[in-house]
Amino acid sequence: MGRILIVDDTLFMRTLLKNILFSGGHSIVGEAGDGDEAIEKYKELKPDLVTMDVVMPKMNGIEALKGIKAFDPNAKVIMCTAVGQEQMVKLAIKSGARGYVVKPFQAPKVLEEIKNVLGS
Amino acid sequence: MSEMDAYRALYIAESRENHETIVKNLLVLENGPDEAAIAEIFRSAHSLKGMSATMGFKHMERVCHAMEDVFQLIRSGQLEVHQDLVDLLLAASDDIELMLDDIESEGPGTIDHLEERVQSLLDWKADRHTPGGMDAGSMQSENGATVPAQIADEALLEEKEGQFQMLIRLRDDCDSRNLRGMLLLQNLDQFGTIIQCIPDREIVEDGVFDGTIRLVIRSDAGIDALKTAASVSDVKEVLFGPDIEMAAGKTAPGREGVGKPLTGSDIVAAGTDHAPGLAKQVKEERVDKSREVKNIRVDITRLDQMMNLIEDLVINRGRLAQIARKFQIKELDETLNMVGRSVSDLQNLMMNIRMIPLSHIFNRFPRTVRDLAHKEEKEVEFTIEGGDTELDRSIMDGLNDPLLHLIRNGVDHGIEKPEIRMRSGKPGKGKLNLIASRDRDNVVIVIEDDGTGINREKVARKAVERGLITELQAAEMTNEAVYDLLFLPGFSTAEKVTDVSGRGVGLDVVRTAIDNLKGTIKVESSPGKGSRFELVLPPTMAIVNVIMVRINGRRCAIPVNNVVEVAGLSVSKIHHIGTQEAIMMRDEVLPLDRLDDMFGKSDKTEILVVLQHQNKKRTIAVDMIEGQQEVVIKPLSSMIGGCRGISGITIPGDGEVVPVLDVNAIVREN
Repeated sequence: MGRILIVDDTLFMRTLLKNILFSGGHSIVGEAGDGDEAIEKYKELKPDLVTMDVVMPKMNGIEALKGIKAFDPNAKVIMCTAVGQEQMVKLAIKSGARGYVVKPFQAPKVLEEIKNVLGS
Repeated sequence: MSEMDAYRALYIAESRENHETIVKNLLVLENGPDEAAIAEIFRSAHSLKGMSATMGFKHMERVCHAMEDVFQLIRSGQLEVHQDLVDLLLAASDDIELMLDDIESEGPGTIDHLEERVQSLLDWKADRHTPGGMDAGSMQSENGATVPAQIADEALLEEKEGQFQMLIRLRDDCDSRNLRGMLLLQNLDQFGTIIQCIPDREIVEDGVFDGTIRLVIRSDAGIDALKTAASVSDVKEVLFGPDIEMAAGKTAPGREGVGKPLTGSDIVAAGTDHAPGLAKQVKEERVDKSREVKNIRVDITRLDQMMNLIEDLVINRGRLAQIARKFQIKELDETLNMVGRSVSDLQNLMMNIRMIPLSHIFNRFPRTVRDLAHKEEKEVEFTIEGGDTELDRSIMDGLNDPLLHLIRNGVDHGIEKPEIRMRSGKPGKGKLNLIASRDRDNVVIVIEDDGTGINREKVARKAVERGLITELQAAEMTNEAVYDLLFLPGFSTAEKVTDVSGRGVGLDVVRTAIDNLKGTIKVESSPGKGSRFELVLPPTMAIVNVIMVRINGRRCAIPVNNVVEVAGLSVSKIHHIGTQEAIMMRDEVLPLDRLDDMFGKSDKTEILVVLQHQNKKRTIAVDMIEGQQEVVIKPLSSMIGGCRGISGITIPGDGEVVPVLDVNAIVREN
C-alpha cells in the first residue's frame, strides 16, 4: 500500500480523505494546506502518491502539481476535483496528473483510483 | 448519512470559518475591486460547496455553487462588482449562516427560498456571461460536439507490424468521460503512437461520446504494457482486436477489425482489478500517522471536563499537603511540591488552551455596522484593533451580545446622519472604533464613536420623568452619575423605538451581562464629540485571586479585584446615619455592612475591608484576614438556585467549602 501526501485547504476534506485512505490500508505521510506547502512536503517526504486539491490559497493545485513534477517527473499526483472544474483538471492532466477523483468523494472510487495509479 | 455524522462538528466549524471569510471579503469588495478578496471568496465558496456536497446538504451546496459561479465570472473579469450584487451575495451568505445554524441544531440545513436565491444568483451569471468564458457547467462537457456511434467503416488502417487495435469501454458511472479518456490516451501515448482514434481525440477530450474508444496504436511495448496503461479507473473493459496476431506477423488486419465489438478467442480482456505491479508492492513501513497533525479540534465541553479534573487535582493536592504537614512526613511534602508545580503548569496550560482571540466575535461586527449604517442612511468608518487579544472561551460566549448592543447603539444613537454632522463641522463619515487590549491581568475593550455624545439634560430629564430620581438630585449629580443612569433597567433615551436598539432592552442588559462575566463597564462622553464605553474583563473566570477572611469564625473569600483597601476598625469612628452604620475615610463616607445574617453576629470584628464595584464603595467588617490565594471558583449548583451575596464556592486545600462573596451584588443592591 502507498505512502500518501494529502493536499487540501480544508481540514474537513483532509480528515475525510485520510479516513478513506486509512480504510484502504494506505499510510498518510503528510498533509498540506496549500500549494507551497505541498511542494515543500513532497520534497521532504517523497510520498508514493499525492492527492491534490485544485482550488487552494497561495498556490493552486495546478501550479503545485507543476512544481512537484519539476522536482520529480515520475511523481504520481491525483487531482481532487469538484463539479465544474473539468477545464482545470484537463490542464492538470496535460501537466502530468495521473488521475482524478471527484468530490463528493466515494470511498471505493477514491481507493480504486489510488490503487490503479500506484500500480501503473 | 450516519457515517458522515462523525464529520458534522468539523464541517460546521470549518464552514463557519469560510462563511466569515466570505462576509469579511464582501465588505472589502464593497469599497472597490480587490483581487485578493475575490480569490478568497471564490475559494471559500468552493470549499463550502465541496464540504456540503460531501455531507449531503443539498441546499448549502446549491447556494455555494451559485456563488462560486458568480465569483468565477468576477475573477475572470467578465462581471463587475455592483452594489446590487454585493447585497445579493450578502443575502446569500446570510442564507448560508441560517443553514449552518440549522445544521448545527441537527436540522436538515434547508431554506424555503432556495430556488429564488439560486436563480437570482444565476441571473447575474446569465446576464453577464459572455461566450467563450469559463466552463462553469457540469462535469459532462456541453460543447455540443457529437459523434455517431457507428463510424467503423470509415476507419482506414495502415497495415503494419507492431500495431494493435484496441477497444476500451468506460463504465457507465464514470464521472467524466472526457477526463478519463484524456488520461487513458495520455497513458497510452507513453507506450506508443496512437495512429487512429475513434472518436477523434478532440472529441474524447472535449466533446460528447458514448464511452467507447476504439483505437489503433503502434507500439513495441507489448500487449501487457498496453493493457496496463489502458486499465485506469472507470474502465469497464479493454479488448484487443485480431491484429494482435498481426503483431506476431501472421494475419493481416481487415478494415472491419476496427469499429465493431470484438469477440472470440482472439480477444484478451484486461480487468481493471488486476493491474500488475500492485502485487509487487512491498509492505510499506507505517509512518506515524499523527506526525504531521499540528492542530486538532476539541469540543469545548471536553476542555471544561478537563478543567474540572484539574481543579479536583488542585484541591486534593492541598489536602495531601496538609496531611503531610500534620504527620510531619518530609518526603511526601517534597514530592507534593513537585506535584504542585506540575499541577499549576497544567492549570496554566489548560487556561491557555481555552483562550481564543477576540477576532472570533469581532469579525462579525463589520457586517452589522454596514447593514445598520445603510438602513439609517449614515456613513460609518468602522475600525477594529486588537482582535488578537485572547479571552477565555466562557467569557467570549457571554460577550457577544453586550458588544453587539453597544456597537448598534453607537451607530443608532451615537453617529449622526452626514448632513447633521457636516452642519456641526464634522466630516460626513462618522467613526466607530472597537479596540481591545490587555491591561495587566485584565482585558479592556473600548467602543468609541465621534457622534453626538450623551446629552446630560436629556438623560436627567428622562430619569426624572420615570421617577428614578428627583429634580433636585438631577441638578446635583455629576456627569458621571448621570451617565450611570443609562444603565438602569428600562431606561432608553431614543426618541422613537427603532428596530435596532431601544427595543425595550437597554444598557441595563449590557451591564447585567458584563456583571455576570465579573467585568465592569463605564461610559464617558462629551456632547457633540462622541461617547466612549469601556469594558474591563478578567481574561478568565475560572481562577480568581481572593483574600480569605473570617467572620464570626467562618471563612469567606473575597475577590481581590473588588477590594480597595483593608484597614483597622475602631469602634469610635463608626457613625450612625439612621439605622445605617458608616465610616469616614479620607473625607469619604462609606456605608458599613455587617454580614450578620450570612455568618451570624460576630463580636470580634476588628478589620475593615473596603469593597468597590463600578464606582461605588462600601465596607464590611470582618474578624481577621487569613491571607491571599488563587482559587478556583465553582458555581453553585442549579439545585441550590440563586443565593444572594454568594457568587460561588471554593474549596481550598484543607477541603473546607468556602463561600465566595458576590461583591458586585452587595455593593449594587445596598
